Amino acid sequence: MEMLQYALRKFVTGIPLILGVTLISFLLMVYFGPDKTYDLIGKNATPEQIAEIRHQLGYDRPFVTRYLEYLAELATLDFGYSDSTGERVSSILKRTIPISLALILPGFILGNLLGIALALAAAWHRGRWLDKLIMGGSVVGMSVSFLIVIIAFQILFSSNYGLGWFPVRGWNVYDFGDYLRYVTVPTLATVFVALGYNTRFYRAVLVEEMGRDYVRTARAFGTPPAELLFKYVLKNALIPIITRIMFSIPFVVISGALLIESYFGIPGVGLVTYDAITTGDQPVLKAVVGLTAVLFVLVLILNDILYKVVDPRVSLK
Amino acid sequence: MRLRPLHLPILLFLLLAACSDGPDTAGLKIYRHSLGGTPTSLDPVQSATVYANHVVVNVYDTLYAYKYLARPYELKPNLAEAMPEVSDDGLVYTIRIKRGVHFIDDPCFPGGKGREVTAADFVYSMKRHFDPKSRSQGSWLWAGKIKGMEAWKRAGADYGKEVEGLRALDRYTIRILLTRPCPQLVHTLAQGFSAIVPREAVEHYGREFSVHPVGSGPFRLQTFDSVRAVLVRNEKYRREPIDLAYEGYDPKVHDPYGIAGIQGRIPPLVDRLEIHFVKESLSRWNSFTKGDEIQFATIPRELLDEVLLKKQPEVVLKARYARNYFYTSGLENGFVHTDFNMKDPGIGYHPDPEREKRNHALRCAIRYAFDWAERNRTFYNDMGQVFPGIIPPVVPEYDPQAPKDSITHDPEKARKLLAEAGWTAENLPELTYGGVASVSSRQMFEQFRGWLTRIGYPKEKILFDSYASFGDYNKAVKQAKIMIVGMGWGLDYPDAENTLQLFYGPNGSPGSNASNFDDPEYNRLYELSSVMQPSPERTAIYRKMNRIVQDACVTISGLSRRYILLWHRNVVSFPDQSIVGGFHLKYVDVLPGRDGE
Repeated sequence: MEMLQYALRKFVTGIPLILGVTLISFLLMVYFGPDKTYDLIGKNATPEQIAEIRHQLGYDRPFVTRYLEYLAELATLDFGYSDSTGERVSSILKRTIPISLALILPGFILGNLLGIALALAAAWHRGRWLDKLIMGGSVVGMSVSFLIVIIAFQILFSSNYGLGWFPVRGWNVYDFGDYLRYVTVPTLATVFVALGYNTRFYRAVLVEEMGRDYVRTARAFGTPPAELLFKYVLKNALIPIITRIMFSIPFVVISGALLIESYFGIPGVGLVTYDAITTGDQPVLKAVVGLTAVLFVLVLILNDILYKVVDPRVSLK
Repeated sequence: MRLRPLHLPILLFLLLAACSDGPDTAGLKIYRHSLGGTPTSLDPVQSATVYANHVVVNVYDTLYAYKYLARPYELKPNLAEAMPEVSDDGLVYTIRIKRGVHFIDDPCFPGGKGREVTAADFVYSMKRHFDPKSRSQGSWLWAGKIKGMEAWKRAGADYGKEVEGLRALDRYTIRILLTRPCPQLVHTLAQGFSAIVPREAVEHYGREFSVHPVGSGPFRLQTFDSVRAVLVRNEKYRREPIDLAYEGYDPKVHDPYGIAGIQGRIPPLVDRLEIHFVKESLSRWNSFTKGDEIQFATIPRELLDEVLLKKQPEVVLKARYARNYFYTSGLENGFVHTDFNMKDPGIGYHPDPEREKRNHALRCAIRYAFDWAERNRTFYNDMGQVFPGIIPPVVPEYDPQAPKDSITHDPEKARKLLAEAGWTAENLPELTYGGVASVSSRQMFEQFRGWLTRIGYPKEKILFDSYASFGDYNKAVKQAKIMIVGMGWGLDYPDAENTLQLFYGPNGSPGSNASNFDDPEYNRLYELSSVMQPSPERTAIYRKMNRIVQDACVTISGLSRRYILLWHRNVVSFPDQSIVGGFHLKYVDVLPGRDGE
């Protein structure tokens, strides 16, 4: 009950955040985003036709009216139709978000789990060759551009110039076998890049935790390293780790992975979002931005609840 | 935190949501085509791109089409029974359509059964272009040409009301009354824009009609998203055996591709047509060379030297690629050019006649500074064809003997022109060169600036006017805000009228005349020739107009880029990306056996 009350209270206090994010982003869309009109007119459009399109797009109405309509759309989760394809925005998101999730989740989970594991190893062997090796590898992962990693992995694992084990492009996923075939290389690329950032961050957190008195005491008591690391150090370091993971979730869910989707020909929400940004497809953009803001608020709530779960000393009041 | 039993079903649900029921493709003949861009809308009235057209002409019928193999391009009846009967004055077109052609079965029809296509469907489909609600991008093709259409639009676009110039005389006969002769009319009726849609589908699907095509073409759409369209054979498609001689078969050209084997067969020749939309050229190439993925591609610019043995005068593939792939190459149906915005008093028209004369000299000097050979080498792999003026080599009216002065790089002459007109480093105006914020646009600008500095133009007076996206750039062009405009034009039909209209005064911004050139003599000749049937007289007028544009130094033009198309050796095809475009896909056959390496 306490948790539910807290969640509701937190959601209500999150509303100004949603309003702020949507207002600023809508302002940017309207005044600085691409003008869709010129995408929709023919080669020899007349000023009257341009005016007609602008009217249909609602560009000739006051900003406040349009913003209030946006809020109503967000409240009802009905964002109308895409200005590009004419498809219902809800249908687009329903079709693409599960694909992006299925595509990104393995890399997201593995990237974090492996990052924590490597960070634990590096922290435990701090200053020694294993630490230096892991940190060196992390810097490599962070330094190489994601685009290069994608192209290199595609050539290495998928193309006939390399091993040719996996499909170069597509998402013909009809069973679990297909899924593994299509998700493996994108996952490897994601993990390769994410691992660098994750490992460095988690190592810093764990090194700090290992410097605490209770770790020295546990060591003095002869606690086995695995027990010390997983039962005490990791558990006590979970707050920043959870924070990092939780705050990545909205991007994973809504934004997808543009580069991965684009190069591997996967029809996820990342591609849709990118196209909406570059062409000024406001209905799609409004949905993506609004839902990301709402998701952030939900993640904030869930984050606080998870704090309480991993550390009972945390109060939700 | 442990993985709790609750988490497993969630993960499973996500995975299942991302999967879908797989089509049973065993034993099906599948062709996997690819394109370098993605269509947005599949509604014919919005099918403005080559990409959209590839899908639209395969799921819908048009009255006319282009012959599969004939070059120069030739029109042929498609849904129409024959070529139109045209009155002597060229104002009345009577077109009879084939009987017994049906739309595909779809829930929009009573009982879900596709009904017969009638002349009224064509009338309805054309009226949609003039209904503001349809957001047509093709209405300009017929604007002001069909009698009564504008009045119908002004009266509220009521489909219940007749348009004088567009009527179904009976179930199978269409009559079009024109306000003035339009020799290109039949070409426009071979475009995706004129594809025939059933009213029931438009009303049933509303805005989502753009992703739910219901047509009578050789295929029906199964799925469509941002990376792929899957089409399957329309079992109800009319059975018309292929007559290769009629389609323009030339054994010398087409024999090596195995095209003779499709003689007498009934299109479409494959059961399933996948069109993959791949913007990333390297990814497209990797998929193509994989062997079991896409079967058609172009060569990425980065790999040209790796794949080609010879680029000029003809394209030759290296042996290891030629063993695995068929290929063809040719000049694009269009060209690239750089226009001066004549509305800008800094370089174009000016109230002071003296200054206008000096602006003319300035434009000509810039044109002489422009080095087409270098541009061709740097950006088009030295494979494009540079030609003088605005009539590109692919149209019949092209004049290979035309003087080349307008494309000659002559910095000395440029300097002389500037000096004679009294231009000095101090009084030369600031130039702004527009472009999208991309590496290649910036490089083109830097090259342009380099040429101008060599004729004495101060570097700091030549600026790059950068736009975040093509949409923004296009908006600025349409609003005549850019001084020097880099443009590309793809021909809508193989007639130089389509490029000459780019400099016709009334087509100025926001129309297609990005230079806002408005010359009374040019306009007069355009109006005169636009109602003439192809003839030596019309060609002479076209060439005269071409000369006027060159003499006015209103554009730096032009270059037609060379394309190279490759396809797997087990695919029987003669692809074309522009004029014939998607029409060729129903003739593509896939032979049994292994795909290309």
